Amino acid sequence: MAPEAKLSHTAAMILQAVNAGYVYGFSVMEMTGLPSGTVYPAMRRLERDELIRSQWEQQSIADAEQRPPRKYYKLTRAGKLTLEASRKRYPLLGKLIPSEEVEAL
Amino acid sequence: MTLRPAAAFHGVDLAILRCASLLVPWCQRGEWWREWRSELWHVRQACTPSHGVLWSAENEVTLFCLGAFKDAMCLRGQLGRKPIPHATTMGSAAQCVFLLVGLIAMSYGVALLLPGVSSVRHFQHYRDARNLVLIQDARYPGDSTATISVEQYQSWKHRRQDLFDDFAFYRMTRESIYDSGHTAAPGTIAVASTNLFAMLGLPIRFAASGGESQRGMPRLILSDAMWKREFGHDPHITGRVVQLGTNAVVVDGVAPEGSWRLPGKVDGWLLASDTKSIADGQGFVVAHLKSSEERTWGENWLMAAPNQDGVMADFSCVSLAESTRGPLDLFLFAVFLACLALPATTSLPLGEYRVSSQKLSWSKRLRRWGFLGCKIALLLPIIYFVSLDLAYLHTTVNRTSSENLQIVSAFSICLFGLRWVLRDQRQRCPVCLRRLTHPARVGEPSRNFLAWNGTELICVAGHGLLHIPEMETSWFNTQRWLYLDPSWNVLFADPGLASASYF
Repeated sequence: MAPEAKLSHTAAMILQAVNAGYVYGFSVMEMTGLPSGTVYPAMRRLERDELIRSQWEQQSIADAEQRPPRKYYKLTRAGKLTLEASRKRYPLLGKLIPSEEVEAL
Repeated sequence: MTLRPAAAFHGVDLAILRCASLLVPWCQRGEWWREWRSELWHVRQACTPSHGVLWSAENEVTLFCLGAFKDAMCLRGQLGRKPIPHATTMGSAAQCVFLLVGLIAMSYGVALLLPGVSSVRHFQHYRDARNLVLIQDARYPGDSTATISVEQYQSWKHRRQDLFDDFAFYRMTRESIYDSGHTAAPGTIAVASTNLFAMLGLPIRFAASGGESQRGMPRLILSDAMWKREFGHDPHITGRVVQLGTNAVVVDGVAPEGSWRLPGKVDGWLLASDTKSIADGQGFVVAHLKSSEERTWGENWLMAAPNQDGVMADFSCVSLAESTRGPLDLFLFAVFLACLALPATTSLPLGEYRVSSQKLSWSKRLRRWGFLGCKIALLLPIIYFVSLDLAYLHTTVNRTSSENLQIVSAFSICLFGLRWVLRDQRQRCPVCLRRLTHPARVGEPSRNFLAWNGTELICVAGHGLLHIPEMETSWFNTQRWLYLDPSWNVLFADPGLASASYF
């Protein structure tokens, strides 16, 4: 999808959350306050449009921590460009989900 | 063994997720089930205490699980749905083809339900019908009246003939058929000479191999309708002895549906080997012309011949080739007439876009002509079946009226159908074959000398505009196509834009 493609505010929030380091579905839900029925399909659509990409965690890592492997999401180059365009459209996006918050953790 | 409450809640949550996963399209189900289970573990870790049960936490986890149903419904909604705006599918070539195929299916379905259509579709031409004639007294118009006496038939049959080499006779009578104690079934019986079926070349179903003829009884051929109605489709009907009036006769087979096209609606044919069995009365005579390359006979001609009293009389001879035309012949004749009449009712050119700055590729031109051919090819079966449906809707209508009705309806539908095909083709975009939309009036009649006046149509995919003049002038006498270059695309529906907004 072209970088200048229009994103809804919800999609832009999810993109901002993933960019901020909330890289799996539940953490995006927690950060954005969006329900599960909204977040997961939206992330699939963002993935379909190649704005984010997903990757399953290695089984060995999950086994070592005695939990199921989880799916991580990451912004693509097109996703970063789209997010930049969306930030201009939604100036408060950065304040709602600051990137530094996760980076400081 | 005791069941821990947390484990029970976890089991319920998994069951909810499993139910939700069943709603997910099959190809994505495994992936979603895996992700939901993984996320559930983390949700449970984040929300619930490590020991005991906290209702508010379990409620939060359950809400997460119930959200999976929303995910699943969303995925189902997206399944197989392309984000194409309605405007771009409306009036497409595929939609037109589907519509025509639907009409074929509908008209064919109706044809299957109508017994009259079924009968006429199974009609088989008579053997050597070109040399078969029905002889009638010329004083009586039409062929519905029996005009030839048995004596007349006898005199022709036993006299040396120059024109004919064989004669067959039949006479209509009402008789009741009794079948081994069953109630009588009244029907119209054609008492006929034994050579009638052989002369016409009519096939006989379940025909006997000759054993029954040794009984010395007259043979009865049942009509398909009588066999089904009174004998319950019995495949072993041949050889059964039934009572026809006061005489015992042996059933010798069944005439196929729609095979009888001579005057009279017949339920059975009694093949009498001697003229005494035929008895007195007026009937019909079918004669077979001697094959001759020098002589050609028309469809209907007069013949002078001595009658049984030795007095010369006029007889009309009607060719069976003319009177036993099948429905396909009538249909082709009607289509031929409609094709002749078409240029008088509409202009034939498809609006070849002479003032075009852009040449269409060969593949696009071929596709356009292929679409036109496809429409005409799909139109023909519609005309055929609808005309048959209309002609044979009522079984009470006689054969001649039904044939006339078939010709008239096939001609009318074909004429208007072809007009529609041409008009539809002219109003389609030559690039994408969609129907042009949004007609707009342009100009005024008074400005015809300086500009043009007519209707402008537009292709919703943005390929161009079609200008149709209201008044034909020497400088604007046919419709013109104005191609639009890609810079106009921003004005038109773009399927890609539909996927750009998310919620």
